[in-house]
Amino acid sequence: MQKDFHYYATYCAAYIAGYTHEESLDIAYSAQFVDLCSRTYLAKIKAPLSAATTQLQLELMDSRLDLMGLQDITRIWASFHFLPYDLYAEKKHCSKRYLNKYRLICNTNGELVKETVGLAKKTSLQSVGIAMHILADTWAHRYFAGTPSYVINNTNRYFFELLPDGKRPVRFRHSASAPDDLEHSIYTNTIHQPGENTIMNLGHGRAGHLPDYSFIKYEYLPVWNDYEEIVKDNPHDYMHAFAQMVYAMQCIRCGKSFETHLYAWDDIEPYKEDIEVILQKRQLDSCADWKAFGEGLTGCEIPDFELSKHEQEYVAASEPDNSQTFLGKFIIAALAQKSMVTNRIYASKNMLAGFSVDYAKKGFKGIRDFIGLVNERSRDNDEAAEN
Amino acid sequence: MTKLQRIKNIFSGLFSLAFSLLILWDHEDGFELIMLVLGFSMLIRSINSLVYYFTMARHMVGGKYSLYLGIIMFDFGVFTLAMSDIPRIYIVFYLMACHAFSGVIDIMRGLEAKSYETPWKLNTTHGIVSILTAIICCIFIKSKLILVYIYAAGLIYSSFTRIISSFRRSAIVYIP
Repeated sequence: MQKDFHYYATYCAAYIAGYTHEESLDIAYSAQFVDLCSRTYLAKIKAPLSAATTQLQLELMDSRLDLMGLQDITRIWASFHFLPYDLYAEKKHCSKRYLNKYRLICNTNGELVKETVGLAKKTSLQSVGIAMHILADTWAHRYFAGTPSYVINNTNRYFFELLPDGKRPVRFRHSASAPDDLEHSIYTNTIHQPGENTIMNLGHGRAGHLPDYSFIKYEYLPVWNDYEEIVKDNPHDYMHAFAQMVYAMQCIRCGKSFETHLYAWDDIEPYKEDIEVILQKRQLDSCADWKAFGEGLTGCEIPDFELSKHEQEYVAASEPDNSQTFLGKFIIAALAQKSMVTNRIYASKNMLAGFSVDYAKKGFKGIRDFIGLVNERSRDNDEAAEN
Repeated sequence: MTKLQRIKNIFSGLFSLAFSLLILWDHEDGFELIMLVLGFSMLIRSINSLVYYFTMARHMVGGKYSLYLGIIMFDFGVFTLAMSDIPRIYIVFYLMACHAFSGVIDIMRGLEAKSYETPWKLNTTHGIVSILTAIICCIFIKSKLILVYIYAAGLIYSSFTRIISSFRRSAIVYIP
């Protein structure tokens, strides 16, 4: 998914769920910021590097592909962009090595989505934004894993775009600078490399940006699915993502328990037709349409996303006060999410995301960046005890 | 390509270069050295490929490629190591076949890369040079010295292409 959905559509969903214009903007900002909070950015503002929620091209190019490097990549991509569906999934006659990768395949309505929304309920608007990014991505990025894997994420020539007048073969190229050509179904994807752990086989790189476009329907043969093809209907999936975001944020606002497979269909009914028009419009970027829809919905102007909006506030604050700034709260929420997902993967006896040490049982034994999260949790617990 | 992979590539290129200079210097034992290195490297690569097939790729669409590659390479590796007592002329034939085989594989990989619209020229050129080397070996089969020179020249060419490929730009498409 791109800025159109993570920023503008998330703003609309938050407003429909009952948040104010200002609150919706903060949630939308945080949801979009997940795609920009890289180590490079965190180093610039002198923030904990472990809070990175994405990796830039150059960072990926430079990332190590040894065990530690792969664990770092998996922690970022599985926690924030490809939330695993079933960490205990079984497939007959498979080695543990294969299952470890297979179990990281992302899909909708898994247990971890429930936990992610539950985590957001306890804390800040920033954590709500992060949770909405992750939830929305489970719809867009389903069937791919947030770890480099040739046997899971590769695709082959069997790839067709489904158009109203029939199927059209998708042609892939590797020019990162050339825009996708919708007229002739020519899209950019990563280079075919048969190595199991190469960066080219991370996430949906081999399927290009197709999962990120709301209008597209396509049919392809995922290499992990025993020669069964998959039809991906993005307008349908994106509509579900929107309805589930509204429902999830309603649960968070009202303190209700979030259940999977439930959607706020009734609440979005008055807007469904308008949303369908935006989702089905054949265009690379639907920011303008979502912005117009959002402004019509709330009667307020939605400012363009500006990366440096909250930077100065964080840089000017000293420790530990910076944890109460906008970015400080985002960083705490990101650390909490990464910590939770890594723990669940580790608990399933899968070492692809690395070790997870339970603070309650063994005390603080881990990456120092996470001490901010521990302090924040202790402060929350103290406040709860006082009340 | 990561920095580590680039460094690894440069070192293996330098190693092949040193090896080709060694066989040029000591061309009497050159053939035996070539067989030893070829045999062991093929065995290691074949075992890697077979383990990858049985633990991972057999569950994957198109994963049989790893199995075939592993079996063929294992066979070649064992055969190479078992050839030390055979008259030198057979070793020459075998080396030519190996060169031709790796040339065909490189051309196939180049064509495959072309079909995926990825960089293909370097692989294809490498393959063509390997086949040409095998053909020249065939022409000069009676002269041991010329054969060693030709083989070493092929190896020097491979070493340089490996080192050059370490400096190639490898664009990565970032997809959040």
